[in-house]
Amino acid sequence: MTEHSPTMWEEIKGQGYSRRDFLKFCAWTAAFLGLESSGIGKVVHAMETKTRLPVIWLHGQECTCCSESFIRTSHPIVGDIILDHISLDYTETLMAPSGHQAEKSLHDTMKKYKGEYILCVEGSIPLGDDGVYCCIGGKTMLQVFEEAASGAKAIIAWGNCATYGCVQSAKPNPTDATTVQKLVSGKPIINVPGCPPIAEVMAGTILHVLTFGRIPELDGQGRPKAFYSRRVHDTCYRRPNYDAGLFVETFDDENAKKGYCLYKVGCRGPVTYNACAINKWNNGVSYPIQSGHGCLGCSENDFWAHGPFYKHLASFPGFGIETTADDIGIALGAATAVGITAHAVSTNIKKRKEINKEVEISRIKNIEKEGGEKNG
Amino acid sequence: MAKRIVVDPITRIEGHLRIEAEIENGKIIDAYSSGTMVRGIELILQGRDPRDAWAFTERVCGVCTTVHALASVRCVENALDIKIPPNAELVRNLMFCALYMQDHVVHFYHLHALDWVDVVSALKADPKATSEIAQSISPWPKSSPKYFSGLQKRLTTFVESGQLGIFANGYWGHPAYKLPPEINLIGVAHYLEALEWQKEIVKIHAILGGKNPHPNYLVGGAPVSININEANALNMERLAYIQQLLQNAKTFIDQVYIPDLLAVAPYYLDWAGIGGGVSNYLSYGDLPTNGYADISSFKLPRGIILNRDLKNIVEIDPTDEEEIKEYITHSYYDYSDGDKAGKHPWKGETNLNYTGPKPPYDQLNVSSKYSWLKTPRWKNKAMEVGPLSRMLVAYAKGDEQVVELTNAVLKKLNAPVGALFSTLGRTAARGIESAVVANWALEFYDQLIANIKNGDSRMANMEKWEPETWPAEAKGVGLTEAPRGALAHWIVIKDKKIDNYQLVVPTTWNGSPRDADGQRSAFEESLIGTPVADPEQPLEIIRTIHSFDPCLACAVH
Amino acid sequence: MGNEMRRVYVWQLPVRLFHWINATSILVLAVTGYIIGNPPAIQSSAEASFGYWFGTVRFVHFLFAYIFFFNFVYRIYFGFVGNRFAKWSNFIPHSKEQFAEMGRVFKIDILQIAQAPLKAIGHNSLAGFMYFITFLVFLFQAITGFGIYSAMSNSWFPKLFTWIVPMMSGDAYVRVWHHVMMWFFVIFSMIHVYLVFYHDYVEGRGTISSMGGGWKFIEKERLKEDVTH
Ligand code: HEM
Ligand code: HEM
Ligand code: NFV
Ligand code: SF4
Ligand code: SF4
Ligand code: F3S
Ligand SMILES: [Mg+2]
Repeated sequence: MTEHSPTMWEEIKGQGYSRRDFLKFCAWTAAFLGLESSGIGKVVHAMETKTRLPVIWLHGQECTCCSESFIRTSHPIVGDIILDHISLDYTETLMAPSGHQAEKSLHDTMKKYKGEYILCVEGSIPLGDDGVYCCIGGKTMLQVFEEAASGAKAIIAWGNCATYGCVQSAKPNPTDATTVQKLVSGKPIINVPGCPPIAEVMAGTILHVLTFGRIPELDGQGRPKAFYSRRVHDTCYRRPNYDAGLFVETFDDENAKKGYCLYKVGCRGPVTYNACAINKWNNGVSYPIQSGHGCLGCSENDFWAHGPFYKHLASFPGFGIETTADDIGIALGAATAVGITAHAVSTNIKKRKEINKEVEISRIKNIEKEGGEKNG
Repeated sequence: MAKRIVVDPITRIEGHLRIEAEIENGKIIDAYSSGTMVRGIELILQGRDPRDAWAFTERVCGVCTTVHALASVRCVENALDIKIPPNAELVRNLMFCALYMQDHVVHFYHLHALDWVDVVSALKADPKATSEIAQSISPWPKSSPKYFSGLQKRLTTFVESGQLGIFANGYWGHPAYKLPPEINLIGVAHYLEALEWQKEIVKIHAILGGKNPHPNYLVGGAPVSININEANALNMERLAYIQQLLQNAKTFIDQVYIPDLLAVAPYYLDWAGIGGGVSNYLSYGDLPTNGYADISSFKLPRGIILNRDLKNIVEIDPTDEEEIKEYITHSYYDYSDGDKAGKHPWKGETNLNYTGPKPPYDQLNVSSKYSWLKTPRWKNKAMEVGPLSRMLVAYAKGDEQVVELTNAVLKKLNAPVGALFSTLGRTAARGIESAVVANWALEFYDQLIANIKNGDSRMANMEKWEPETWPAEAKGVGLTEAPRGALAHWIVIKDKKIDNYQLVVPTTWNGSPRDADGQRSAFEESLIGTPVADPEQPLEIIRTIHSFDPCLACAVH
Repeated sequence: MGNEMRRVYVWQLPVRLFHWINATSILVLAVTGYIIGNPPAIQSSAEASFGYWFGTVRFVHFLFAYIFFFNFVYRIYFGFVGNRFAKWSNFIPHSKEQFAEMGRVFKIDILQIAQAPLKAIGHNSLAGFMYFITFLVFLFQAITGFGIYSAMSNSWFPKLFTWIVPMMSGDAYVRVWHHVMMWFFVIFSMIHVYLVFYHDYVEGRGTISSMGGGWKFIEKERLKEDVTH
């Protein structure tokens, strides 16, 4: 139990950093945020006196499993995060007030902490039909989001919905579900994909910002390198089975009972960047592969587009659910063979005469060596 | 003159719900419930591999995560006539029970409690008196005066920081809050403890399904394998882990949840007369103990109660195209045969067509279409679904544990059975259900151990896995009881692909707009007559709405 | 009809070397690639620690990937410095005559609706253009291959190709297209080898052996016509 909540400066001091380091962090943050150097003073000030970082958490087209995952975090536990580390001023899932009192909480923070709050977004934002597919308090999610984004210091896009559009953006994307990164520019966006992201990855991302005073280093797709720089396959404990060519052929077969690699029953670990095999789920208890099911690729763009999930190769667009590139390739190969045979037969019929003539005329009389000079 | 008040967003639920209510003389005389978000998952499923459907539908909701996956694999198994091994049934049951315990506890403490518990009042509690009350109601060890004073201090620091976070702008001090400060303090303590506890029980999903939220399912069984002599499968360590989690869960429910429920309820007995709503209750039943085909083996029995008549349980046939139908008279959809038609889900259609006001708007046009939820009816009757329906059907059918526990609760509150048909009844039923489920889960665990001991380690039936083994056309229905009530998926498979897929979801039953005959569904009906002390602070409205534990992502999908 | 033949040195050694190294690596890459995509169940009750065959298949794929790639890079270079049959101008149609020739070749050799064999010395224009497309696919296959490989390698070289992954919106897409393109090579090889035999057969100029020794037999008259080409 904390006696008094330390300011961020005190917390950072507690981690063994000097004030100079702290100022450097702040300068770095300011630079990252694209603030003028005059803005640096403000960032320092904000971080030293503000007790808890204000956070607004918006809900768009979602299943709320990102929130559910977040409350499962075990280090730190979520109670400590919301009481001691951040001020979670708006989240429809947990906040006490409803209706216009809830909207008041949102607007108070947007006004009072303009430019200082972190905006978390869970869910996608539908653009179809002017955004009527998701409304909150009579406004479209798009309107609410744009307003909240304009005053945010940085944005965290939670989960596959906010980063890549998740299942609702799967073909035919009936509501034109759209992602945070497609709608905002000029603000730092941290993409934390996964359906949902691992609880401790979510907590870790927030704590990184709080502890180090800056957003974590991101990869080319805006994901924190600390959690998304490795494929599940690179750290999967079944990897030796993969290398040894030991595969589960079908669920619950002898190989499955031995824990062989799930590649042939569709595991997407080789094309999926996530920390599942390292951090594991629910405080390290397991992860999909450990419990016998292949990775679905839930932290990847368009993971739902690579079905069927139980085949290594996705079905080929426009053909049956089971038709892979290999089936089509084999069919084309066979067609080619047929074509070649037909062509060869036709050649022999049509060109026979001509060839016979050629054979006769073309006695090679002089074999000369001068052809080579034609170089050049 | 009636005054229209709007509550949007309804918070502490899953999803986007808007309530509009007409208030006259301090009472609600009419109400409208509207779901304001849609994704079109039913459209997205068309043309896909039926074996993949569970992963798509599971993403309908991360709060009741797993139930859509379960309904989905069941509807495919039903269509293709696949029987799953007994162990797979037990694994599914264990995951089912783990979800119930987690979801109900989170609902009680984190979604519902702040309707009854005044956090600010807890600051005034006497830690010593609090400790005495806590120790008098439960052997739960975290109950010393020091524990409560420490918590109070932490709470005070938090409030004095001026940053109230999720507690800002709550209805603190509202006259409808009735608990003494000491019980409020216990409530706050257990709010935090339950928050920490709930992440434990879902580890069962991680063990059996690889993760939570959104663990993995499999058509034909369960993806996890049993091999007691292998490090990579369910072995004794994994099984013992499950058992330990189940035991801890039972302790928490028995020593924290139930005592809290019984401590809070007496202060709110007036709510046993408010919020009754529709008088029909539906339960598909679940937790098979002898294969899903044997409905009589269900721990949670199947049936319908009409007009609150507990003496007659009516049968349901989900394949009868005249029984369950969905209407869109007041929903933003088109049907090929007009707005008045009702459609059985096998023939269901999902054509989005928004005709509501242009945002930003102040009021919905409730005389025409006003919600993204369709309106399900059983033989044209509105049904309530959820823990209350399940407990009523189990009570009426005479399930021993349910009858015993329900009677004990009623006796403690000195209330008649009729008190169950209310806001408070719904909240109590959820607690009773959690307690029986905690017991049943341990039975399922024992059964799993017994099977393994007898040499049965089968977990999946893969005979009809390959699409070549499927008929050209097939239809199926998958039923389950989600925490919030009766859930079913209907599938039509053609040429190995999904031709049609329809979900009819608990919150669709409860929260839908009125039907073609103008009949209200459960949310709307239950608000009629509810007193509202201060229209600016709609605490009473959210109390009754929360008692259903709404999930709008589910309801609309 | 010119009947006197002359031996002409068409394919310089680097082209021939390129050709056979290329053909070999493609063969190896297609076979190992196919196995990577569809591993056979050749072991069942083994322990992982005693086997590494799948890893070896992948290793061979990566090894030949490098050979294939640098061989290809060398061919690109040689397209600037080699003889006129090796030049890039053969591949990318840029003159009216080349387009006209493509049309004629198509009619004569493929549809067989016109007679009179057309006798190019190096590649005919249509073949050249097909090779150009093939070179583009080589490039695509190398970029996607190294793109996926960059995630499993610490070497700087594959990292030069990481950009393709976000460009194709994720590893899964890159991998699927890499796999799909394998079939291009299979089908190309079938047609190519057939056509080489076909030309050898109908023209009798030693097309097959030309990729061995570099020499073709060309009609004297044709050679005269061609000096300005
Ligand atoms: C003619 C050229 C090539 C062909 C036909 C070919 C074919 C294939 C095929 C069919 C696969 C299996 C894909 C799957 O189903 O997952 C594959 C995998 C792969 N190829 Fe190639 N490939 C070629 C060139 C290259 C090159 C130049 C590279 C460069 C490094 C490369 C790197 C890879 C990698 C990294 C994989 C994935 C292996 C794994 O994850 O274990 N390939 N290739
Ligand atoms: C029995 C096998 C093969 C023979 C006899 C052969 C023969 C030849 C000949 C004669 C040429 C010149 C073609 C012309 O004048 O139009 C050629 C070019 C070419 N062949 Fe093959 N080939 C064989 C297999 C392959 C294979 C398997 C591949 C790769 C998939 C391949 C790729 C190429 C390429 C890319 C060229 C253009 C070369 C350049 O100009 O640098 N060949 N081949
Ligand atoms: N309504 C609903 Fe669900 C549940 N329980 C499910 O089917 O919450 Ni998300
Ligand atoms: S990313 Fe997945 S888990 Fe998170 S809200 Fe979206 S659907 Fe749910
Ligand atoms: S189970 Fe999946 S992630 Fe693990 S080694 Fe096999 S393919 Fe890779
Ligand atoms: S499905 Fe998702 S949870 Fe991890 S193992 Fe794959 S990224
Ligand atoms: Mg539906």
